[in-house]
Amino acid sequence: MRRMLNLIQNENMKIYHQMSTYIMLGLMIVVVIAGGFISTNGGPGQQATTNSDWRTELTEQNTNLQETLKGIQSQGIAVESAQIEKLIKTNNYRLEHNLPPEYGVWGFVTEFSVLVDLVSLFVIIIAAGIVAGEFNTGTIKLLLIRPIKRWKVLLSKYIAVLWFAFVALILLFVATFVVGGIFHSFNGLNQPYLGYKNGNVTEINMLWHIFINYAYACVNLLMMVTFAFMISAVFRNNTLAVGISLFLMFTGNLLVGLLSNYSWVKYILFANINLTVYTDGTPVVKGMTMTFSLMVLAVYFIVFNLISWYVFMKRDVAT
Amino acid sequence: MQTKPVAQFKNIKKRIGSKLIIDDISFEVNAGEIFGFLGPNGAGKTTTIRMLFGLISISEGEISVNGFSITDDFEKAIAGMGGIVENPEMYKYLTGYQNLVHYARMYGNLTKERIDEVVALVGLEQRIKDKVKTYSLGMRQRLGLAQAILHKPSLIVLDEPTNGLDPAGIHEFRMHLRQLAEKENVAVLVSSHLLGEMELMCDRIGIIQNGKLVDIQTVNDFLAKDEVVMRVTFTVDDVIKAKACLNKLYKDQDTIVKETSISILMDTVRIPDIVTAFVHEEIRVSGIDKETQTLEDKFLKITGGSGIA
Repeated sequence: MRRMLNLIQNENMKIYHQMSTYIMLGLMIVVVIAGGFISTNGGPGQQATTNSDWRTELTEQNTNLQETLKGIQSQGIAVESAQIEKLIKTNNYRLEHNLPPEYGVWGFVTEFSVLVDLVSLFVIIIAAGIVAGEFNTGTIKLLLIRPIKRWKVLLSKYIAVLWFAFVALILLFVATFVVGGIFHSFNGLNQPYLGYKNGNVTEINMLWHIFINYAYACVNLLMMVTFAFMISAVFRNNTLAVGISLFLMFTGNLLVGLLSNYSWVKYILFANINLTVYTDGTPVVKGMTMTFSLMVLAVYFIVFNLISWYVFMKRDVAT
Repeated sequence: MQTKPVAQFKNIKKRIGSKLIIDDISFEVNAGEIFGFLGPNGAGKTTTIRMLFGLISISEGEISVNGFSITDDFEKAIAGMGGIVENPEMYKYLTGYQNLVHYARMYGNLTKERIDEVVALVGLEQRIKDKVKTYSLGMRQRLGLAQAILHKPSLIVLDEPTNGLDPAGIHEFRMHLRQLAEKENVAVLVSSHLLGEMELMCDRIGIIQNGKLVDIQTVNDFLAKDEVVMRVTFTVDDVIKAKACLNKLYKDQDTIVKETSISILMDTVRIPDIVTAFVHEEIRVSGIDKETQTLEDKFLKITGGSGIA
């Protein structure tokens, strides 16, 4: 156990002494700051800025929405009418409970939780390099001639990658919180998030809501990073691991879309990677459930890891 | 000197595909001796060393270190070994010191004092806090030696260790190894394709060719067998006269004539005779060179001229 901690410490030392790591994390913060500027100049933050007569605004909005709803209902488009109903009910809830719609710091943090995808990209780059990089430079030889079994060396690398993901996510959260606060004020920190379930508006703790947002986005992160790690361990080639992983990450949904007519598409990783479809949205194939997707993800996860470990332990090191 | 075997190679074979890369190699490296592993590039030196370190699998046979099989008892066997495989490849973006800390952590119980001690031993104190990317190849070799001896192994394996070292560095390196072998009774396995280096450094030499261990000899035997016939080059003022003179003394020997020198394959005992003859013919001799035998020459002799892979 002690030895394992030492190994992880080693891997961390190697990650955090490389320039590229800081370039990536710096880039992420630059993107967040740029987002702060954009959101105050005509972005979504601006139009939602609270003013004193938010009550009249919401009431007006609701009247308009009611009319649109009637128009739609006569045409019988169910999906859109549900969306509008949700908006009306949320507005009513705000009026009843005196909760002004404030964008503020939480609005910014929630909106920029999409940057978890950027974090995924960076973690994929780290995962791709952490095994293949040692082969590229030849340092793998001096690493594996120590009294430590190969699977432990690989495990320490995997843990270090996940730790890096954790650090980057925390940094993303802190950066969006600080930038959001500076650009949109830190008012309304106790504001709840208004969720919508079975036709009822519910109050959800804002931090919990953001955590859930991150967690859903991390399913993608974990799967793609594990995939990149596998390619890295199997092909021992940095570029290949980054390339294939990013290619799949960006074309995965397209692929599922193209194949959506086949029933077996539901066994494809990318059809299961977005779990938010089970809370609001529609799954790729009718009849898919959260449990089904979690099981498919678990199978992929185990297979990726088995391949990584098997190949890393068995293959000759002849660099 | 003790003759306790530290590393034992028993009928080692390595197959890649259908090709036999290493063909039935057996030898031992004893405590307190420096064993030279000699062979041209591609003969199988590095492959054998990789099998010893468990980096690649062994197709047949067994390698054990301190009695532990590298295949079945990897952790125990490898704990007693240290070394460099091919080049001393370190993490360039870390300092020399961080590199050593990195390896020290993998043994668990090494102290800071031990790291400092090793740094002093290889003479890197001045530069140890600099990044490895600023190091010369010689400094990397020193750092490579430092990481190899960090955990006081009973077997040190060095692959082409004097690559990139200047003459003073090579001398110092040799002294380090001698000291480790004699004072601390460490077994040392060194590979090289340079015969001269091996003669100076090693107690015994094993010659590998085309994946086969052709011969194992002590250095003394090796030198005793050495024939005195070698190519001698005379730098003279008049090569034409010199050629005529040599032709008289060695009728059927070919000479190689250059602008200011002439060379011939001959018994070195007779060099004074030639010089006398030259002086007699009023040929001014300004230099005599005995060509040091290359491994290739030696090799051809030992392997019966079957050539180098």
